[in-house]
Amino acid sequence: MSSLKREENGEISIEISTQESHVLISLTEQLLELLSQGDSLAEAQDPLMHIVGISESDALPEDPVLRRLFPDAYEDSASSSEFRRYTEYGLREKKKAHARIIYEALTSQGEPEEITGGNTPIDKGSFKLIINSAELLDWLSGLNDLRLALAVRLGIGGNQQESADIDTKAIHNKYELMLESDPMKAVYAVYSWIGWLQQGLLEEISPE
Amino acid sequence: MALGTATQVDSEVNLKADRPWVCIVWDDPVNLMTYVTYVFMVLFGYSKEKATELMLKVHNEGRAQVSSGTREEMERDVQRLHEYGLWATLQRDNEY
Repeated sequence: MSSLKREENGEISIEISTQESHVLISLTEQLLELLSQGDSLAEAQDPLMHIVGISESDALPEDPVLRRLFPDAYEDSASSSEFRRYTEYGLREKKKAHARIIYEALTSQGEPEEITGGNTPIDKGSFKLIINSAELLDWLSGLNDLRLALAVRLGIGGNQQESADIDTKAIHNKYELMLESDPMKAVYAVYSWIGWLQQGLLEEISPE
Repeated sequence: MALGTATQVDSEVNLKADRPWVCIVWDDPVNLMTYVTYVFMVLFGYSKEKATELMLKVHNEGRAQVSSGTREEMERDVQRLHEYGLWATLQRDNEY
């Protein structure tokens, strides 16, 4: 299990196992791929519109994860579509940048002799990851997007009527009782672990 | 007397006209309570007390009004909240 520590210079160091790192790398890769869907199409349609960040499409994304990451801003669909047309491209780029920070921090970990900068290997099975304070909000946001994406697969929240009544304890118990062979149990374990990581980072910064 | 009342009504109308839009954050069981509080502090510059109070309102009542202003200002707030994964919408003040 990872451990977190706030250094004197304000940086946060996380001891992370290579296995945990691989899971995060794989998830951020998938998220980046999903966020890039339709990019080349949009660019081909109207390069100028693409440059200024206006999308040709104002439809609600088909993928349920994208719908969760880019919810409607208005109750009425016409205003929501208009908002989407002007903001979704920029939002996608921001979310991609957050995911990339996590992805690059993890993939820059090579073999011990290749490691440069503040990242020092602890042993073969784990390494020390450094998050500086300037990147912290991006990390928190990127981890949150990963949890939202996993939550869609797990069927947690995402519905205005239901979400106020959702009991997180009941969800936890449901997955705790699942058989080890059920793949959703592993998904829930990753979801919980990322939540634990996010909570750990928040406790270390404890803003006043 | 009648004149005084009319002036009072006018000023109320003007106040509302100044801040006719609100930004609402909806409860999402995925977002950690500490994270939601932190985002409110960072994005709106709210104190820890105010941010915690708003977070608890979202958590307990299902939603909370987190800011108010012009339509453009509220669209910007919603956009920033979406950037950080919070579920936000905007609407006219009188609808809330």
